[in-house]
Amino acid sequence: MGATQRDPIRDSEIRLWIYQHFVDTGWAPSPVEIAAYFRLTPGQVEHALHRLQEEADALVLLPGSSYIWMAEPFSAVPTSFLVRSSARQWWGNCIWDALAILALVGTDGSVSTACPNSGQPLVLSVTKRTLADAVGIVHFAVPARDWWRNIGFT
Amino acid sequence: MLLFRSEDDVLAWCEQRHTTPGAVFEVTQLWRVAGVWYDDRLDSTWRRRTIPERQAILDSAGLTGPFWRLADS
Repeated sequence: MGATQRDPIRDSEIRLWIYQHFVDTGWAPSPVEIAAYFRLTPGQVEHALHRLQEEADALVLLPGSSYIWMAEPFSAVPTSFLVRSSARQWWGNCIWDALAILALVGTDGSVSTACPNSGQPLVLSVTKRTLADAVGIVHFAVPARDWWRNIGFT
Repeated sequence: MLLFRSEDDVLAWCEQRHTTPGAVFEVTQLWRVAGVWYDDRLDSTWRRRTIPERQAILDSAGLTGPFWRLADS
C-alpha cells in the first residue's frame, strides 16, 4: 500500500487502537508505536493521523506535528482535570471531558480540579455510574456553535 | 468548560478577565450529557455525529436556547 493511498478500514482500526491505548495506559501512542503495532512505516501512520484529524474529525494533533493532542474526551497532555480510577489515571480536556472519561471507560473514579477563581480544590466522585459528590457550578464561556473554532480554548 | 466553586466565583472570574459570563449549570446536568456525548467513541464503526444528532443530545439534557445551538439554522 502506498503511503498516500487511502485505506478507511485501516484508519478506523488505528483510531480505535488509539482510543483503547488511552483507556489502558492513560496516554497517547506515538506514531512510531502505532507503526510498530500495525507493521506500517511511521510515514504511513502520520498520513493516517492527519486523515483522522482532517477528514474524519476524530483526533486533534499538536499544531505542526503528527503527535496526538486530543482524542476526545482524552488529552495527551496534562490538564487541570485529572481523572483517577484505582491505579489508572487520565487527563480530560475540560470538566465535560473528564466526567465523560469515567462514563466511557465505565468505571468508578474521581475527577480532581480546582476552582479557577478561588483555587479551592474540587473533587467529583462517580460510583456505580452515579455522580456521588456533585460540588460546584459548570461554566461554559463559549457558545455551542463556536466550540470547535478553537478547541484548545473551549 | 470549567468547574467553579460557586456562581459568585464565575462572576468574579469573568470580571477579572473583562469577559461576559457564558452559561452556567449544575454539575449533575453535565454528568447526564457528558456520558452520552462520547458513548460511541469505543465503537469500531464510529463516525462523527451530525449536527442534528449532537443537537438532540443537548436538547435531551435540557440544554436549549440560543447559547446551545450548534448551527444558526
